[in-house]
Amino acid sequence: MAKKKCVAMLLAGGQGSRLGVLTGKIAKPAVPYGGKYRIIDFPLSNCINSGIDTVGILTQYKPLELNDYVGSGKPWDLDRTGGGVHILPPYQGQKGGDWYTGTANAIYQNLEFIERYDPEFVLILSGDHIYKMDYSDMIKQHVKTNAACTISVLKVPFEEASRFGIMNADENGKIYEFEEKPKNPKSNLASMGIYVFSFDKLKKYLCLDAENKDSSNDFGKDIIPMMLNAKENMMVYKFNDYWKDVGTVDSLWEANLDLLNPKIDLNLSDKKWRIYSRPDNFPPQYIDGESKVENSLVTDGCEVYGNLDYSILFENVTVEKGAAVEYSLVMPGAVIKEGAKVKYAIVAENAVIEQNASVGQEPTAENAEDWGITVIGANITVGKNAVIRSKQMIVEDVAEGEKR
Amino acid sequence: MRASAVAGIVFANTSDSLLNELTAVRSMASMPFGARYRIIDFSLSNFVNAGISNVGIITNANYRSLMDHVGSGVYYDLDRKAGGLRILPPYNTSLAKRFHGNIEALAGSPAFIERSGADYIVLYNGDSIANVDIESCIDFHIEKGADITTVYAYGKSPEKHKHTMILDLDGDTVKSAKFSNDSLDNVNYSIGITVVNKKVLLPLVEEANQEGLTDFNRDIIANKLSELKVFGFKHSGKVFVMDSINSYYNANMALLNKDTRHDLFNLSRPIFTKTRDDMPTRYGTKSNVQNSVVADGCIIDGTVKNSILFRGVKVEKGAVVENSIIMQEALVSENAVVDCVIADKNSSISKGATVKGTKEDIFHIRKLQFV
Repeated sequence: MAKKKCVAMLLAGGQGSRLGVLTGKIAKPAVPYGGKYRIIDFPLSNCINSGIDTVGILTQYKPLELNDYVGSGKPWDLDRTGGGVHILPPYQGQKGGDWYTGTANAIYQNLEFIERYDPEFVLILSGDHIYKMDYSDMIKQHVKTNAACTISVLKVPFEEASRFGIMNADENGKIYEFEEKPKNPKSNLASMGIYVFSFDKLKKYLCLDAENKDSSNDFGKDIIPMMLNAKENMMVYKFNDYWKDVGTVDSLWEANLDLLNPKIDLNLSDKKWRIYSRPDNFPPQYIDGESKVENSLVTDGCEVYGNLDYSILFENVTVEKGAAVEYSLVMPGAVIKEGAKVKYAIVAENAVIEQNASVGQEPTAENAEDWGITVIGANITVGKNAVIRSKQMIVEDVAEGEKR
Repeated sequence: MRASAVAGIVFANTSDSLLNELTAVRSMASMPFGARYRIIDFSLSNFVNAGISNVGIITNANYRSLMDHVGSGVYYDLDRKAGGLRILPPYNTSLAKRFHGNIEALAGSPAFIERSGADYIVLYNGDSIANVDIESCIDFHIEKGADITTVYAYGKSPEKHKHTMILDLDGDTVKSAKFSNDSLDNVNYSIGITVVNKKVLLPLVEEANQEGLTDFNRDIIANKLSELKVFGFKHSGKVFVMDSINSYYNANMALLNKDTRHDLFNLSRPIFTKTRDDMPTRYGTKSNVQNSVVADGCIIDGTVKNSILFRGVKVEKGAVVENSIIMQEALVSENAVVDCVIADKNSSISKGATVKGTKEDIFHIRKLQFV
């Protein structure tokens, strides 16, 4: 096997339980985004655009759809004779096998995979962020500073810092302390969950961690603190562009609608840094003479006979006559029937909103307390004239006229 | 049937001259169609949907855009170890020259036909747009014990088509075939798709080529009806055979009709095409789009009515596009007015300009042209 300078390991095994019904049948990285993408398109496209052509994807939770989507890696030019994309589920050896017990353990169990390429560096990524980043620049800094580990960080507002893992670093960017969700943050440099390790160091600490029966085998909780204690040279890499965690329903909704925000620069078809995807093959979209489409993204296979405002239609969505979709995401194959209203909602794949049903509510002064995005699960039918309030998560069919 | 029993051949340059300006920069088969396709996508997809994975594209001239579009065939799952896609340009010998007609083209590609290992060859003209059930057609061909089966449609035949057969049928059997330079109403006419037994194809082509004959339909099928078992297989779906810029324009505009759209883009027999990784199309806050077919990657801030927009088209604020076909990456600048126009790839219409044709006389803006 030819030597590779850097191998990327993408942690894609998490359930993403805060997304509720949206990850009921699929792993979080396979959740649709932006009309024709899935979350995993971002790290995969970033890898190929950064010149990294060897990627291991660690899967565990509901991997079927993710495996299918990644396939041979062709859409990202990751179908390679040497390297390319590899799906790495937990496996059995002669002495048995185990589920991945934590992020570090998932990598530990696949050290053999990494060793085949004899890399100098290993890039650890996760499958739940929307961002465009040149990893080669981060690796360059890693080499220049002779670091054992480089952690990508983002400046967040101080009032939000207690939601993140915070890196306390000196003026040269050398990390002296890591605090997980600190009550009184000393810095506002939040870890983005992107690490570059020198492979020899990574291997050393993964093996030490594996021997520790009390460890939770997690990068943030165990590996990083252990390396800091051992006085390893650990550096922050400051990232300043768009980055969003899509771990919750509200943040997923927001990150999608950010594509419509003229103040946010998130051009996914930039020829210099394109985000690739594996779209299904659908005919072009059709916008009818009776419809009104404003400030929205619409993609192949959609047929729009109703009205759209500030919304994203994913592939093969139908919006019938007199229906209105506002501030919403309608995922692949869903149908919004005549006269139905969808507001501030996520309608998942192949859901059907029957005639004159009403889904979601706009935020007002009165409902501000318990307002939230409404989610209709995949393959769910919301019956005629049914009314679904804000912040509901619908996991089973809703009968005609029912109120939820 | 074994996977390699049928091979397909597409003639990429059929009727090139009838679309004159539009085909100056490309072959008929690589004419853009329907917002995100090229005409050749229909033949290749029909083949693939019928389980045919061994396809040759015979091309004569102007084939760079064609090669760029089909690539290795991966978009059609035709990048195969066994079979797959082969482009067959004129063979480069001291005798190299353009083909005159499809007999010469076939006679120039005997190796593809012989080595295909196929028992049946499907010949497909590059100028027809239809979603045809080729699998049923081949079943029909075998069941009838036919030598040749030609696919036909009922309706108005194309004009200026010396190779289109007007069929006289007795049940499924072709009794006679005539040819007409004018368009005829209410006739059964061949749509340029023919299944031929390989056993009979090569001897017929060789003999006809030696005699200097050029057209497979006129000089072989119509001449040999008494010697060969020739059947007709009816295609009842939509079909558009290109014979002029107007017919090209009308075929595109027909997609504004739901039935036509759902017939041509029948999701159970999908039409495949090159992927481009564009973002979804973005409709701005002041956009006004009505009755239009739009591909991905467009940015629309103006008005678009009764039009077809290809991938990556920009319609700026205040611009009005009506009854027009705007091809890939074309730009309609602020306050420009465009009506009954075909704007070719990468063309651009400047601020406030007005470009108008009529439905009878479509105005053509050339590739890369700046108006």
